[in-house]
Amino acid sequence: MDLARQAQDGDESAFAEIVRRYSPRVFSVASRFFRQRSLVEEAAQEIFLKAYTQLGSFEGRGSLEGWLTRIATNTCLNMVRSSKRRPELTVSDLTDDEEGWLNQQSAGDGREQASVENSLVAADLADRLLAVLPPEDQQALLMIDGEDASIKEVAEATGWSESKVKVRAFRARKKLREAMEKLLDHRGKKLEQVSK
Amino acid sequence: MKEKHITEILDNAAIASLSEVELKEIRVHTKDCVSCRDAFEAAQLAAVILKSRAQVTIEPTPFFQTRVMAALREQQAVESVPAMWRLWKSAKVLVSSMAVTTAALAALSFVLPATSTPVDQPVSAYSAESVIIGQGSDELTYEQVMSTIYADDDEAGK
Repeated sequence: MDLARQAQDGDESAFAEIVRRYSPRVFSVASRFFRQRSLVEEAAQEIFLKAYTQLGSFEGRGSLEGWLTRIATNTCLNMVRSSKRRPELTVSDLTDDEEGWLNQQSAGDGREQASVENSLVAADLADRLLAVLPPEDQQALLMIDGEDASIKEVAEATGWSESKVKVRAFRARKKLREAMEKLLDHRGKKLEQVSK
Repeated sequence: MKEKHITEILDNAAIASLSEVELKEIRVHTKDCVSCRDAFEAAQLAAVILKSRAQVTIEPTPFFQTRVMAALREQQAVESVPAMWRLWKSAKVLVSSMAVTTAALAALSFVLPATSTPVDQPVSAYSAESVIIGQGSDELTYEQVMSTIYADDDEAGK
Protein backbone atom coordinates (compact mmCIF):
# COMPACT_ATOMS: atom_id res chain seq x y z
CA MET A 1 0.00 0.00 0.00
CA ASP A 2 2.93 2.34 0.76
CA LEU A 3 4.29 1.99 -2.74
CA ALA A 4 0.85 2.57 -4.21
CA ARG A 5 0.31 5.65 -2.03
CA GLN A 6 3.70 7.09 -2.96
CA ALA A 7 3.00 6.48 -6.63
CA GLN A 8 -0.44 8.10 -6.23
CA ASP A 9 1.36 11.17 -4.83
CA GLY A 10 3.38 11.38 -8.04
CA ASP A 11 6.54 9.58 -6.89
CA GLU A 12 7.88 8.12 -10.13
CA SER A 13 10.49 5.95 -8.44
CA ALA A 14 7.72 4.28 -6.44
CA PHE A 15 5.87 3.47 -9.65
CA ALA A 16 9.11 2.20 -11.20
CA GLU A 17 9.42 -0.14 -8.22
CA ILE A 18 5.84 -1.34 -8.77
CA VAL A 19 6.72 -2.10 -12.40
CA ARG A 20 9.85 -3.98 -11.38
CA ARG A 21 8.15 -5.96 -8.63
CA TYR A 22 4.97 -6.94 -10.49
CA SER A 23 6.28 -7.38 -14.04
CA PRO A 24 6.59 -11.17 -13.69
CA ARG A 25 2.94 -11.40 -12.59
CA VAL A 26 1.72 -9.13 -15.39
CA PHE A 27 3.80 -11.03 -17.95
CA SER A 28 2.39 -14.29 -16.67
CA VAL A 29 -1.18 -13.02 -17.23
CA ALA A 30 -0.33 -11.61 -20.66
CA SER A 31 1.39 -14.89 -21.62
CA ARG A 32 -1.93 -16.63 -21.17
CA PHE A 33 -3.31 -14.54 -24.01
CA PHE A 34 -0.30 -14.15 -26.31
CA ARG A 35 2.59 -16.36 -27.35
CA GLN A 36 4.80 -13.80 -29.11
CA ARG A 37 7.18 -11.86 -26.86
CA SER A 38 6.52 -8.59 -28.69
CA LEU A 39 2.77 -8.90 -28.06
CA VAL A 40 3.25 -9.84 -24.41
CA GLU A 41 5.55 -6.84 -23.86
CA GLU A 42 3.16 -4.52 -25.66
CA ALA A 43 0.28 -5.75 -23.52
CA ALA A 44 2.32 -5.49 -20.31
CA GLN A 45 3.30 -1.90 -21.10
CA GLU A 46 -0.32 -1.02 -21.82
CA ILE A 47 -1.32 -2.62 -18.51
CA PHE A 48 1.17 -0.57 -16.48
CA LEU A 49 0.26 2.67 -18.24
CA LYS A 50 -3.39 1.99 -17.52
CA ALA A 51 -2.56 1.12 -13.92
CA TYR A 52 -0.73 4.44 -13.54
CA THR A 53 -3.71 6.44 -14.72
CA GLN A 54 -6.06 4.41 -12.49
CA LEU A 55 -3.89 4.49 -9.37
CA GLY A 56 -6.38 6.84 -7.75
CA SER A 57 -9.03 4.11 -7.82
CA PHE A 58 -6.85 1.70 -5.81
CA GLU A 59 -8.14 1.97 -2.29
CA GLY A 60 -5.89 -0.64 -0.73
CA ARG A 61 -8.70 -3.00 0.28
CA GLY A 62 -7.21 -5.91 -1.66
CA SER A 63 -3.61 -6.54 -2.65
CA LEU A 64 -1.87 -4.41 -5.26
CA GLU A 65 -1.02 -7.63 -7.11
CA GLY A 66 -4.68 -8.63 -7.26
CA TRP A 67 -5.66 -5.17 -8.49
CA LEU A 68 -2.97 -5.30 -11.19
CA THR A 69 -4.00 -8.83 -12.19
CA ARG A 70 -7.54 -7.65 -12.79
CA ILE A 71 -6.36 -4.71 -14.92
CA ALA A 72 -4.05 -7.08 -16.78
CA THR A 73 -6.79 -9.61 -17.48
CA ASN A 74 -9.29 -7.03 -18.68
CA THR A 75 -6.73 -5.17 -20.81
CA CYS A 76 -5.63 -8.39 -22.49
CA LEU A 77 -9.24 -9.48 -23.01
CA ASN A 78 -9.96 -6.19 -24.78
CA MET A 79 -6.89 -6.62 -26.95
CA VAL A 80 -7.82 -10.19 -27.88
CA ARG A 81 -11.50 -9.36 -28.51
CA SER A 82 -10.51 -7.13 -31.40
CA SER A 83 -8.80 -10.02 -33.19
CA LYS A 84 -10.80 -12.50 -35.27
CA ARG A 85 -11.60 -15.97 -34.03
CA ARG A 86 -10.13 -18.78 -36.04
CA PRO A 87 -12.26 -21.48 -37.70
CA GLU A 88 -12.44 -24.92 -36.13
CA LEU A 89 -9.28 -27.00 -36.41
CA THR A 90 -9.54 -30.16 -38.50
CA VAL A 91 -7.20 -33.11 -38.66
CA SER A 92 -5.89 -31.92 -42.03
CA ASP A 93 -4.74 -28.67 -40.37
CA LEU A 94 -2.55 -30.53 -37.89
CA THR A 95 1.18 -30.16 -38.28
CA ASP A 96 3.29 -33.32 -38.46
CA ASP A 97 4.54 -32.62 -34.94
CA GLU A 98 1.00 -32.26 -33.60
CA GLU A 99 -0.15 -35.42 -35.31
CA GLY A 100 2.91 -37.23 -33.97
CA TRP A 101 2.18 -35.94 -30.48
CA LEU A 102 -1.43 -37.15 -30.67
CA ASN A 103 -0.30 -40.58 -31.87
CA GLN A 104 2.21 -40.79 -29.03
CA GLN A 105 -0.38 -39.83 -26.45
CA SER A 106 -2.95 -42.29 -27.79
CA ALA A 107 -0.35 -45.06 -27.77
CA GLY A 108 0.16 -44.28 -24.08
CA ASP A 109 3.84 -43.29 -24.26
CA GLY A 110 3.20 -39.58 -23.68
CA ARG A 111 4.71 -39.60 -20.20
CA GLU A 112 7.99 -41.08 -21.34
CA GLN A 113 8.25 -38.49 -24.08
CA ALA A 114 7.42 -35.47 -21.92
CA SER A 115 10.24 -33.32 -23.30
CA VAL A 116 10.29 -29.54 -23.58
CA GLU A 117 9.79 -29.90 -27.31
CA ASN A 118 6.74 -32.07 -26.79
CA SER A 119 5.32 -29.59 -24.30
CA LEU A 120 5.62 -26.82 -26.87
CA VAL A 121 3.86 -28.93 -29.49
CA ALA A 122 1.07 -29.59 -26.98
CA ALA A 123 0.91 -25.88 -26.13
CA ASP A 124 0.64 -25.01 -29.83
CA LEU A 125 -2.15 -27.52 -30.23
CA ALA A 126 -3.92 -26.03 -27.19
CA ASP A 127 -3.67 -22.55 -28.72
CA ARG A 128 -5.12 -23.75 -31.98
CA LEU A 129 -7.98 -25.63 -30.33
CA LEU A 130 -8.74 -22.81 -27.89
CA ALA A 131 -8.76 -20.22 -30.67
CA VAL A 132 -12.31 -21.16 -31.63
CA LEU A 133 -13.62 -20.29 -28.15
CA PRO A 134 -14.51 -16.80 -26.91
CA PRO A 135 -11.48 -15.27 -25.14
CA GLU A 136 -13.33 -15.16 -21.81
CA ASP A 137 -14.04 -18.91 -21.97
CA GLN A 138 -10.41 -19.60 -22.90
CA GLN A 139 -9.22 -17.68 -19.85
CA ALA A 140 -11.53 -19.42 -17.45
CA LEU A 141 -10.45 -22.84 -18.71
CA LEU A 142 -6.73 -22.06 -18.86
CA MET A 143 -6.73 -20.74 -15.32
CA ILE A 144 -8.79 -23.57 -13.80
CA ASP A 145 -7.60 -26.61 -15.76
CA GLY A 146 -4.17 -25.31 -16.74
CA GLU A 147 -3.06 -23.42 -13.65
CA ASP A 148 -5.22 -25.19 -11.03
CA ALA A 149 -6.81 -21.89 -10.01
CA SER A 150 -10.03 -22.07 -8.00
CA ILE A 151 -13.33 -20.65 -9.21
CA LYS A 152 -12.96 -17.91 -6.59
CA GLU A 153 -9.48 -16.96 -7.78
CA VAL A 154 -10.68 -16.67 -11.37
CA ALA A 155 -13.63 -14.56 -10.23
CA GLU A 156 -11.26 -12.22 -8.38
CA ALA A 157 -8.85 -11.95 -11.30
CA THR A 158 -11.55 -11.20 -13.84
CA GLY A 159 -14.22 -9.42 -11.84
CA TRP A 160 -16.85 -11.96 -12.94
CA SER A 161 -19.24 -13.67 -10.55
CA GLU A 162 -18.36 -17.21 -9.46
CA SER A 163 -21.38 -18.64 -11.28
CA LYS A 164 -20.29 -16.90 -14.47
CA VAL A 165 -16.82 -18.43 -14.11
CA LYS A 166 -18.36 -21.90 -13.62
CA VAL A 167 -20.56 -21.55 -16.70
CA ARG A 168 -17.70 -20.30 -18.86
CA ALA A 169 -15.35 -23.07 -17.71
CA PHE A 170 -18.01 -25.77 -18.21
CA ARG A 171 -18.83 -24.52 -21.70
CA ALA A 172 -15.17 -24.22 -22.70
CA ARG A 173 -14.22 -27.62 -21.28
CA LYS A 174 -17.08 -29.29 -23.15
CA LYS A 175 -16.19 -27.60 -26.43
CA LEU A 176 -12.51 -28.41 -26.09
CA ARG A 177 -13.25 -32.04 -25.27
CA GLU A 178 -15.60 -32.34 -28.25
CA ALA A 179 -13.06 -30.70 -30.56
CA MET A 180 -10.39 -33.10 -29.33
CA GLU A 181 -12.75 -36.05 -29.75
CA LYS A 182 -13.41 -35.00 -33.32
CA LEU A 183 -9.69 -34.74 -34.02
CA LEU A 184 -9.07 -38.18 -32.57
CA ASP A 185 -11.96 -39.64 -34.54
CA HIS A 186 -10.74 -38.14 -37.83
CA ARG A 187 -7.20 -39.24 -37.10
CA GLY A 188 -8.43 -42.79 -36.41
CA LYS A 189 -10.27 -42.88 -39.72
CA LYS A 190 -7.23 -41.51 -41.51
CA LEU A 191 -5.00 -44.18 -39.97
CA GLU A 192 -7.50 -46.86 -41.03
CA GLN A 193 -7.40 -45.59 -44.63
CA VAL A 194 -3.61 -45.62 -44.63
CA SER A 195 -3.47 -49.20 -43.30
CA LYS A 196 -5.84 -50.36 -46.07
CA MET B 1 -26.48 -48.85 -20.74
CA LYS B 2 -27.62 -48.97 -17.15
CA GLU B 3 -25.68 -46.02 -15.72
CA LYS B 4 -25.75 -42.42 -16.73
CA HIS B 5 -23.16 -41.29 -19.25
CA ILE B 6 -20.17 -39.67 -17.61
CA THR B 7 -19.63 -36.73 -19.96
CA GLU B 8 -21.21 -34.35 -17.47
CA ILE B 9 -18.65 -35.34 -14.85
CA LEU B 10 -15.90 -34.71 -17.41
CA ASP B 11 -17.22 -31.26 -18.30
CA ASN B 12 -18.07 -30.14 -14.77
CA ALA B 13 -14.54 -29.97 -13.40
CA ALA B 14 -10.91 -30.37 -14.33
CA ILE B 15 -9.89 -34.02 -14.51
CA ALA B 16 -7.11 -33.36 -12.00
CA SER B 17 -9.68 -32.23 -9.43
CA LEU B 18 -12.04 -35.22 -9.75
CA SER B 19 -12.62 -37.25 -6.60
CA GLU B 20 -11.79 -40.93 -6.26
CA VAL B 21 -15.51 -41.74 -6.32
CA GLU B 22 -15.98 -39.86 -9.60
CA LEU B 23 -12.90 -41.49 -11.16
CA LYS B 24 -14.16 -44.92 -10.15
CA GLU B 25 -17.55 -44.16 -11.68
CA ILE B 26 -15.81 -43.12 -14.91
CA ARG B 27 -13.65 -46.24 -15.00
CA VAL B 28 -16.60 -48.56 -14.45
CA HIS B 29 -18.77 -46.82 -17.01
CA THR B 30 -16.13 -46.58 -19.77
CA LYS B 31 -15.56 -50.35 -19.65
CA ASP B 32 -18.82 -50.84 -21.52
CA CYS B 33 -19.55 -47.46 -23.11
CA VAL B 34 -17.43 -46.75 -26.17
CA SER B 35 -18.63 -43.18 -26.69
CA CYS B 36 -17.80 -42.26 -23.08
CA ARG B 37 -14.43 -44.00 -23.40
CA ASP B 38 -13.63 -41.76 -26.39
CA ALA B 39 -14.89 -38.74 -24.47
CA PHE B 40 -12.67 -39.63 -21.49
CA GLU B 41 -9.62 -40.07 -23.71
CA ALA B 42 -10.31 -36.69 -25.34
CA ALA B 43 -10.80 -35.03 -21.94
CA GLN B 44 -7.49 -36.45 -20.71
CA LEU B 45 -5.65 -35.16 -23.77
CA ALA B 46 -7.36 -31.78 -23.45
CA ALA B 47 -6.15 -31.60 -19.84
CA VAL B 48 -2.59 -32.41 -20.93
CA ILE B 49 -2.49 -29.71 -23.60
CA LEU B 50 -3.98 -27.15 -21.20
CA LYS B 51 -1.27 -27.91 -18.63
CA SER B 52 1.38 -27.55 -21.32
CA ARG B 53 -0.10 -24.26 -22.47
CA ALA B 54 -0.21 -22.89 -18.93
CA GLN B 55 3.50 -23.63 -18.50
CA VAL B 56 4.40 -21.35 -21.42
CA THR B 57 5.18 -17.99 -19.85
CA ILE B 58 7.36 -15.18 -21.10
CA GLU B 59 9.63 -13.47 -18.57
CA PRO B 60 10.18 -9.70 -18.58
CA THR B 61 13.55 -8.48 -19.86
CA PRO B 62 15.75 -6.30 -17.59
CA PHE B 63 14.94 -3.32 -19.84
CA PHE B 64 11.20 -3.59 -19.47
CA GLN B 65 11.02 -1.25 -16.48
CA THR B 66 12.99 1.42 -18.41
CA ARG B 67 10.70 0.98 -21.39
CA VAL B 68 7.56 1.49 -19.30
CA MET B 69 8.95 4.54 -17.54
CA ALA B 70 9.97 6.08 -20.88
CA ALA B 71 6.47 5.44 -22.27
CA LEU B 72 4.97 6.97 -19.14
CA ARG B 73 7.07 10.17 -19.49
CA GLU B 74 6.14 10.37 -23.15
CA GLN B 75 2.48 10.05 -22.24
CA GLN B 76 2.80 12.73 -19.58
CA ALA B 77 4.55 15.05 -22.04
CA VAL B 78 1.70 14.64 -24.51
CA GLU B 79 -0.87 15.29 -21.79
CA SER B 80 0.90 18.46 -20.59
CA VAL B 81 0.54 20.17 -24.00
CA PRO B 82 -2.72 22.21 -24.13
CA ALA B 83 -5.53 20.57 -26.05
CA MET B 84 -5.95 23.49 -28.50
CA TRP B 85 -2.27 23.40 -29.38
CA ARG B 86 -2.45 19.63 -29.97
CA LEU B 87 -5.51 20.18 -32.14
CA TRP B 88 -3.71 22.86 -34.12
CA LYS B 89 -0.63 20.65 -34.52
CA SER B 90 -2.64 17.83 -35.96
CA ALA B 91 -4.88 20.00 -38.14
CA LYS B 92 -2.52 22.72 -39.30
CA VAL B 93 -1.76 21.13 -42.67
CA LEU B 94 -5.44 20.77 -43.45
CA VAL B 95 -6.28 24.31 -42.26
CA SER B 96 -3.35 25.81 -44.22
CA SER B 97 -4.32 24.08 -47.44
CA MET B 98 -7.93 25.22 -47.01
CA ALA B 99 -6.76 28.83 -46.49
CA VAL B 100 -4.60 28.70 -49.63
CA THR B 101 -7.48 27.31 -51.68
CA THR B 102 -9.85 30.02 -50.41
CA ALA B 103 -7.31 32.75 -51.24
CA ALA B 104 -6.81 31.36 -54.74
CA LEU B 105 -10.56 31.27 -55.36
CA ALA B 106 -10.91 34.86 -54.11
CA ALA B 107 -8.13 35.99 -56.44
CA LEU B 108 -9.80 34.28 -59.40
CA SER B 109 -13.16 35.85 -58.58
CA PHE B 110 -12.24 39.46 -57.77
CA VAL B 111 -8.72 40.33 -58.85
CA LEU B 112 -8.39 38.87 -62.35
CA PRO B 113 -9.98 40.99 -65.21
CA ALA B 114 -13.49 39.97 -66.23
CA THR B 115 -13.57 38.00 -69.44
CA SER B 116 -17.31 37.58 -69.75
CA THR B 117 -19.60 39.37 -72.28
CA PRO B 118 -20.31 43.05 -71.45
CA VAL B 119 -23.79 43.70 -70.18
CA ASP B 120 -24.72 46.34 -72.76
CA GLN B 121 -23.86 44.13 -75.75
CA PRO B 122 -26.98 42.88 -77.59
CA VAL B 123 -27.99 39.28 -77.20
CA SER B 124 -27.43 38.59 -80.83
CA ALA B 125 -23.70 38.99 -81.48
CA TYR B 126 -23.98 38.72 -85.22
CA SER B 127 -23.88 41.86 -87.33
CA ALA B 128 -25.58 42.07 -90.70
CA GLU B 129 -22.19 42.40 -92.35
CA SER B 130 -20.74 39.34 -90.75
CA VAL B 131 -23.77 37.33 -91.78
CA ILE B 132 -23.66 38.62 -95.34
CA ILE B 133 -19.92 38.09 -95.75
CA GLY B 134 -20.46 34.63 -94.33
CA GLN B 135 -18.14 34.81 -91.31
CA GLY B 136 -18.93 31.96 -89.04
CA SER B 137 -21.81 30.95 -91.31
CA ASP B 138 -21.03 27.30 -90.77
CA GLU B 139 -22.16 27.62 -87.19
CA LEU B 140 -25.38 29.63 -87.76
CA THR B 141 -28.84 28.26 -88.18
CA TYR B 142 -31.36 29.64 -90.63
CA GLU B 143 -33.39 31.22 -87.82
CA GLN B 144 -30.34 33.03 -86.44
CA VAL B 145 -29.53 34.51 -89.85
CA MET B 146 -33.09 35.68 -90.35
CA SER B 147 -33.41 37.18 -86.86
CA THR B 148 -30.14 39.09 -87.31
CA ILE B 149 -31.27 40.58 -90.65
CA TYR B 150 -34.69 41.57 -89.38
CA ALA B 151 -33.24 43.03 -86.19
CA ASP B 152 -31.04 45.32 -88.29
CA ASP B 153 -34.06 46.27 -90.41
CA ASP B 154 -36.02 47.10 -87.27
CA GLU B 155 -33.21 49.33 -86.04
CA ALA B 156 -33.05 51.10 -89.40
CA GLY B 157 -36.83 51.62 -89.33
CA LYS B 158 -36.54 53.29 -85.93
